[in-house]
Amino acid sequence: MKETSNAQRPTPNVERSEHPTSGVERSALNVGRFLWRILDFVVAGIFIYAGVLKAIDPVQFASDIDNYKLLPWPVSVAIAFYLPWLEIFCALGLVFRFLYRGALSILSASIVVFTLATIAAKARGLDITCGCFGHASQHWSFPAHLATNLAILAGLLALLFKTTSRNRVQNSV
Amino acid sequence: MKSSLVAQAVILAAFALLPAAGEAIYFRDKISWRSAIAPSEMVTVEQAREWGNTAIWVDARPDDDFANDHVPGAISLNEDRWNELLPQFLAAWTPGKKTVVYCSSLSCNASREVAHRLRKDAQLSDVFVLEGGWEAWLKKKNR
Repeated sequence: MKETSNAQRPTPNVERSEHPTSGVERSALNVGRFLWRILDFVVAGIFIYAGVLKAIDPVQFASDIDNYKLLPWPVSVAIAFYLPWLEIFCALGLVFRFLYRGALSILSASIVVFTLATIAAKARGLDITCGCFGHASQHWSFPAHLATNLAILAGLLALLFKTTSRNRVQNSV
Repeated sequence: MKSSLVAQAVILAAFALLPAAGEAIYFRDKISWRSAIAPSEMVTVEQAREWGNTAIWVDARPDDDFANDHVPGAISLNEDRWNELLPQFLAAWTPGKKTVVYCSSLSCNASREVAHRLRKDAQLSDVFVLEGGWEAWLKKKNR
């Protein structure tokens, strides 16, 4: 029978750090997890709200997209029908941690595109409503608009960074 | 890991296609894929002319363009001076009249925006956008 020496046996260091023995460590970890989940829900809530508002009035949203003067009308219509549902599905992905990283990536990309389009519209002197939150965002100023988008993007990137680093640790075990 | 992220994104993107297609079918009469204005909200020069005195014409172009020339009897109502011009329009409008809004050409947005605001803000029905705008009117006015 072949024997394995003690030196060759894998040491469960990571396991030990994932399951802290100290009660203080464990509760700190739980609080951390709880806060990350809160951030998940906040970001998801924002996108579900925005998605539903746009999904119930795609005609207005198509008009809002058209106001950016970046896309032909048929493309604006297609986006007006599609994007709200994509936002809603991705937001649900965050809530239920289903296809989580894919959802985070799509939402991050969409908020970056919207922010760039808004900046481009402002640079071209277009006074438009972004349509991001239906009529709720109709009278938002450009700085308020930009600040909201950047705050959401910061939340998304934090979640993406957190989940990517956790996966990296798990993959290295 | 990278491929799984892409796969997840593709699955989500595919999921969203189904309700989007359903919604596109549901709203097919309310939005046109060819023009920003729904077919039911557009009117041609010929149709608008047939309405005669039962129609009120609204010029959504800037003040200078209106001062230069406009459809006979048209009232100026643009977004730049909306609050100032709206009462003048409402004074001329009577219930039962159809409103025909026009701007410069087929590609302009002003008539669509003014028509939208007349429906939403002023709660008017029977508001139409002139297909081709002022350019179409000029082409067909002597025919």
